[in-house]
Amino acid sequence: MEEAGADRARLGCLGFTLSVPFPSPLEAQIAHGSLAPDPEPRKGGISKELTVTENFLHVCWKADEARVLRVSISSFLDHLSLVIQTMEMFGPPVPR
Amino acid sequence: MPAVTVLGLEGSANKVGTGLVRDGQVLSNPRRTFVPAPGQGFLPGQTARHHQGCVLALLQEALQEAGLESADVDCVAYTKGPGMGAPLVTVAVVARTLAQLWNKPLLGVNHCVGHIEMGRLITGAQNPTVLYVSGGNTQVIAYSERRYRIFGETIDIAVGNCLDRFARVLKISNDPSPGYNIEQMAKKGQKLVELPYTVKGMDVSFSGILSHIEEVAHKMLASGECTPEDLCFSLQETLFAMLVEITERAMAHCGSQEALIVGGVGCNMRLQEMMQIMCAERGAKLFATDERFCIDNGAMIAQAGWEMFRTGQVTQLEDSWITQRYRTDEVEVTWRD
Repeated sequence: MEEAGADRARLGCLGFTLSVPFPSPLEAQIAHGSLAPDPEPRKGGISKELTVTENFLHVCWKADEARVLRVSISSFLDHLSLVIQTMEMFGPPVPR
Repeated sequence: MPAVTVLGLEGSANKVGTGLVRDGQVLSNPRRTFVPAPGQGFLPGQTARHHQGCVLALLQEALQEAGLESADVDCVAYTKGPGMGAPLVTVAVVARTLAQLWNKPLLGVNHCVGHIEMGRLITGAQNPTVLYVSGGNTQVIAYSERRYRIFGETIDIAVGNCLDRFARVLKISNDPSPGYNIEQMAKKGQKLVELPYTVKGMDVSFSGILSHIEEVAHKMLASGECTPEDLCFSLQETLFAMLVEITERAMAHCGSQEALIVGGVGCNMRLQEMMQIMCAERGAKLFATDERFCIDNGAMIAQAGWEMFRTGQVTQLEDSWITQRYRTDEVEVTWRD
């Protein structure tokens, strides 16, 4: 079991991707700016990459264990929801 | 120079607050507290969810009370650390979103520096020796050459954590705060129960006192040797005597004539009274604030942010990550001589 786990860990075999549409490219960029700065815990066996194309925010996870992946996605969704609520209440963004 | 208005967001522990400060004036400072059931502490996940549920309403409240609109805000300040990770991220995410929506600069503030600057603003203390006492921190601080230098600190748990956990042992209510309820009960204490007194040079240790009282409390209460009120009284007297001792030593070392108490435990009137006696004996002046500004709040982050902003500091988004560990002396104090 231990060795199988270690092999799987090296592969980072679990993945998850998410694409979130925003009303405009600027809002997608803002969401990226709000959600990208905090890194995943260093020893967590998980990586998360955020990118923006047009008005979409894309998030791509790679993880060794489902448990860690679930925690990361769940907290990301909480923060995403908070960003969207903040935009609804205090937006739209001032024109640049 | 035109007036500078800073919005501050705080949420590093179980309080979440938003405050607006304009050139030394607190325009609004609403706050909500997550209160766990008696016998329980606040955990990061549930505290973060509490903050998620009220931070946006608090922001609206702050703006309304100040009579301001988003366009009137010049800068958005938030707590970068130290504190609990999940609650810190929650508030930082909102701060980043606001700064970007409004196209205003963002400023990551050290929570401890926030307490110090708020205390200086409210009391007018010029160059005090600072006793910073809360649920997460216990430090004696003095300013020298662009740093708030830590003269002494706890080597294990914070004084407020010791009080909070003692409250859990006796199942004292956490509403409005365990420390407040201990303070009220202590007023009825008659007997001083001897507890370990653990000052180590300039530092203090509280975990041994807590273990001791955890071990003996129920036995002593069951045998009628003392009352819960006696225990509250004895714990406060012992902990606060230790704090007064290290503060006095720092003042003697610095030749300081001012002492300032900040942090949530700082609104304890018995602590203020004991510090006042020490200060009077030294011919020094004591400065303290009430619960509005002692306990974590948004305005303290706005005020420290205001000081940083006027000396040209801003935090780029990519550098805006939160940090659970962030020592007071890591910050370069660019706004003082």
